[in-house]
Amino acid sequence: MAPSPFGYHGHCLRVDLSRGTSERTPLPERVLRQFLGGSGLGAWLLLEEGCAGADALAPEAPLAFVFSPLVGSPLTTSAKFAVVSKSPLTDRINDSLASSGFAIAGKRCGCDAIVVAGRAPELSTLIIDDGRIRLERAVDLRGATCGEAERALKARLGADYQVASIGPAGERGVRYATISHDGRHAGRGGSGAVLGAKNLKAVALRGTQRPAWAHPHELAEYSKALSKRSFGPATAKYRELGTASNLLAFNRLGVLPTRNFQTGTFEGASAISPEEIRQTRSRTRASCVTCTIGCEHIYALGDDEGVRIEYESLFALGSLCGVAEADVVLRASRLCDELGIDTISAGGTIAFAMECAERGWLDAPWLRFESGRAMLRAIELIARREGIGNLLAEGSRRAADAIGHGSRAIAPQVKGLEIPGYEPRALQTMALGFAVGARGADHNRSGAYEVDFSEKVDRRRVTVDAVRYAIETEDRAAIMDSLILCKFLRGVFGDFYAESAEMLRLVTGWDVAAAELRETARRIVGAKRRFNAFAGWTPEEDTLPDRFLETALEGDPAAALSRERLETLVAEYHRQRGW
Amino acid sequence: MRVEFMGIARERAGTAEVTFPAATLGQMLAMLSTRFPMLGDIVNGERLQPAFVANLNGDRFVSDPATPLVEDDSVLILSADAGG
Ligand code: SF4
Repeated sequence: MAPSPFGYHGHCLRVDLSRGTSERTPLPERVLRQFLGGSGLGAWLLLEEGCAGADALAPEAPLAFVFSPLVGSPLTTSAKFAVVSKSPLTDRINDSLASSGFAIAGKRCGCDAIVVAGRAPELSTLIIDDGRIRLERAVDLRGATCGEAERALKARLGADYQVASIGPAGERGVRYATISHDGRHAGRGGSGAVLGAKNLKAVALRGTQRPAWAHPHELAEYSKALSKRSFGPATAKYRELGTASNLLAFNRLGVLPTRNFQTGTFEGASAISPEEIRQTRSRTRASCVTCTIGCEHIYALGDDEGVRIEYESLFALGSLCGVAEADVVLRASRLCDELGIDTISAGGTIAFAMECAERGWLDAPWLRFESGRAMLRAIELIARREGIGNLLAEGSRRAADAIGHGSRAIAPQVKGLEIPGYEPRALQTMALGFAVGARGADHNRSGAYEVDFSEKVDRRRVTVDAVRYAIETEDRAAIMDSLILCKFLRGVFGDFYAESAEMLRLVTGWDVAAAELRETARRIVGAKRRFNAFAGWTPEEDTLPDRFLETALEGDPAAALSRERLETLVAEYHRQRGW
Repeated sequence: MRVEFMGIARERAGTAEVTFPAATLGQMLAMLSTRFPMLGDIVNGERLQPAFVANLNGDRFVSDPATPLVEDDSVLILSADAGG
């Protein structure tokens, strides 16, 4: 057997819950070099499994926890893992990332990925102890929140275990349920529902096996210098205010999605802004393991534990639902975290239902914009799949198909994934990024908003010149999500590809050049598209809901994106990608 | 004309906005760095540091110091990274 390359174990662990078996399958060095780890290696693994046609919640549909070459190294922000599967929300590929000790423990289990297939006979915990695998009953944890499950398992197994768990939403197959670890979530696309469908409440890991690095001393020096740079102005926003500081800036620019994307400004923005919230609440900061930036800002909420607040949660549970009560938005965010629900999809689906109720298409008069109580109630119902919650647990696209009245036109989703907090008509490079995203409307796999926030384009009248910029941000994200490094570090790099190649060289010893990594990025994006093609993707899916293509943004007539313009942008994107 | 500080720029300036006359973006930024020394890691002479951007009237992003300004203009100063 060939020795494993530096930085890797050269193996994937495959667990079949139905058969009660496991096997270690080799990962050739060629594959590791071509797909790196994280999202990239996950896409390759799913393609190898040949499962694209299976229902995302069927036992045979695999879910992979994928680690990276950099995890476990001293490089700042590198303690991340990817969860890759077919999405039950979009029926396309889904790769969601989360951080911290679980990533390090996973790599120390002696493998580069853990692929889980099949279905356990009862609600269980998958335990991997330094490569030894067992299933334990977890029926006593049924209904436990993500945090309760994690704490209970650590108390039972030992504090040195790292646990990723699902909440009640994942158990009940909410199509946008998350997998949680240490308060952070592999959030988008419903990986929690996939784990729940496998009858797994949690995965608990510990291990001692560390792969060797090719140039450990140079790596330590490089890491020290990178950490130092991470304290600079490029990350000040994240350190000092967190992503929530986007809220007032976006509102001022008219790009803050409000009341189910009916407008781009919210009169209650100040009331839910971090600038206001911190006037009356204490705030602490936290960070993922190995991170020197520390973007997490945790606000006190009554007598209880605090709540992590980020822009996407504030927008989705605030302006998008017209809720201007800070206390309610914080509570809603924490409720989603505890129940294991993606805040963006929860807010998007509830806001959509609020508009349907307002138009008389949905018999739920209590579900009104501005009503914090209604939003909190809807979240509880979704997690329990009770009453209207059973419909909303399906996500806005499936809910629209059930509601009828042409409501798909106002369902805020692409390929079924609810749109994050960037108004597409006023940020048209981002609109393209959303339309073509392999996992649907996504600000993490395409950073095209960066282009709109620059002089490169006129953000309300974007032309085909913007396409190459959108591709650049998507390619860069593919590398960051595969190495894996936090996106909030990106402003620190002068030459991203050259520096990424250098980090990879120090860890693996490969003589990688920037040009090779650019090729790798395209290969990874292409692999996701190939999976989607096997799953039934057609070019017509790469679009936006009619609302965005038929009406200008209220209060900003220049923010209009015609169907023809978007089609031209998408066609040029496909041409440049060679699809 | 008016300068509106968003996010970190507001933290540093200690105020949400300030009004004073300036004929160009460069002039405005130079005056800012004189009046607000605490903006040192944001403004560098007649330009912004790379981690920050200026937006004119909530519309287009501008960086050329020669960009003309008129009395009714509002210049927003915000972080270049809009990641959320
Ligand atoms: S910047 Fe934030 S999300 Fe990124 S690694 Fe650090 S704490 Fe985690």
